[in-house]
Amino acid sequence: MAVTQYMLVALVAMLAGLDRVAMGQFMISRPLVVAPLTGLVLGNPLLGLEVGMLLELLWLGRLPVGAAIPPDDTQVAVAATVLALSMEPVLGVGGMPLVILCVLAAIPLGKFGQVFDRLARSFNDRLAEDGHSHILAGEFHRAERLHLLGLASFAISSLATALVIVLIGGLALLGLAPLLIGAVRDAGLSLQYSLIIVGAAALLGTMNIQRSISLFTAAFSGTLLVLWLR
Amino acid sequence: MMVRRLPFSVFLGMYFRSFLLQASWNFERLQNLGFYYLMLPGLRSLYGDKLTVETCAQHSEYFNTHPYFAPLVAGTTLRIEQERRAGGETTVDAETYRMSVMAPFAAMGDAFFWGGVRPLAALVGLLIAIQGSLWAPFIFLMLFNLPHLVSRGGGLLLGYFLELRSIEMVQKCRLPDLAVRLKESTTILLGVLCAYLSFNGCEHQAISPVWGFVVLPVVLLFAWLAHKGFSSLFLVLLTTTSLLLLALMF
Repeated sequence: MAVTQYMLVALVAMLAGLDRVAMGQFMISRPLVVAPLTGLVLGNPLLGLEVGMLLELLWLGRLPVGAAIPPDDTQVAVAATVLALSMEPVLGVGGMPLVILCVLAAIPLGKFGQVFDRLARSFNDRLAEDGHSHILAGEFHRAERLHLLGLASFAISSLATALVIVLIGGLALLGLAPLLIGAVRDAGLSLQYSLIIVGAAALLGTMNIQRSISLFTAAFSGTLLVLWLR
Repeated sequence: MMVRRLPFSVFLGMYFRSFLLQASWNFERLQNLGFYYLMLPGLRSLYGDKLTVETCAQHSEYFNTHPYFAPLVAGTTLRIEQERRAGGETTVDAETYRMSVMAPFAAMGDAFFWGGVRPLAALVGLLIAIQGSLWAPFIFLMLFNLPHLVSRGGGLLLGYFLELRSIEMVQKCRLPDLAVRLKESTTILLGVLCAYLSFNGCEHQAISPVWGFVVLPVVLLFAWLAHKGFSSLFLVLLTTTSLLLLALMF
């Protein structure tokens, strides 16, 4: 990968990271969007889409409410896509087994996102305090600038998360991929589907609505029967 | 009381600034600087050079609501501020209004947008993505951002023009009920998605689709575990380890 591509990926990681909380919240940060976007930058959007599919539902039920910080699925998606595309020549394997391995290596590292995000928000505590002091001093423009400076802390925290996941994930893959790739290849489609189904179960578990089990069971059984009998 | 309408550019400025409401989100005062930043075009238009420290300080106190509902709160706050500036009587002062509506709007927005619209849009996107179509991210973004952008822009205008009556208007939308309907639709789509994947898995393994029903109790068990507080990471590790062990053994 060229240096410009890496720089563009860093830009995507920062912009998508900002979209999580600090700016816009258009949901560009969702794995289903940011992973194909990263893939597009690196020349393979379909591989990114596969990564996004596996990750989209996993933490969707974790609401970004108030001070609650869910694991950083945005940077997990960015990093898993980068790993899947950059490790192919190194490991000598490719395709869905490698995508699954990269996703599995990146998922636990999403916890780093929580740590960096918490640091960014703690840094912003000082900005808020200073901003309020500037307002009391009649320096309204400076308070505005301090508010916008908060974007930098969120952007840096996003980039740091992506970097850490790529580095640690890459090292883990170098060690584990030769041992696991055979089993992952054998498990194949069931492993790929099971990741999506686990995400679906995790989301279902957070639904908190009456009749969720009966609705799910009816939809599942009805669809399976229709597909079977058609 | 009749007050002069503020120029459109003020609303436009506030609308765009609402996208940066959480730029300095912090644990101590949450969206306080963001709300001040959002209100500034309106306050500058109202007070011009006579913008006082007291006014600005009042709007930079602790604030926290759903980001998509913040423009609505800002619109009403601006109108109250404008009427106060014009010397009219207001039912509530800006601070009391802001403090009393931010929590209910936060709860409503969380349930509707995060709990309702987002999972449903993601599920629709995912069902398209499984077909290998790159339209999936676009469809997801469109489905999600339509209500999002309407809520920001419409909320700002509604808040300003209807003032306190905007609360009634929002109540009439019955967003909590709508959120439940969206969650029910999401649950149905989750069932469709899992069944489709089970069926495909059976076809791939060349076994009868009736084996697909095995997935149903597994999903329900995992959903129960997730409901009991087991993390997605734990569920992923459990599933992956089991499948890899099975693959290694057979």
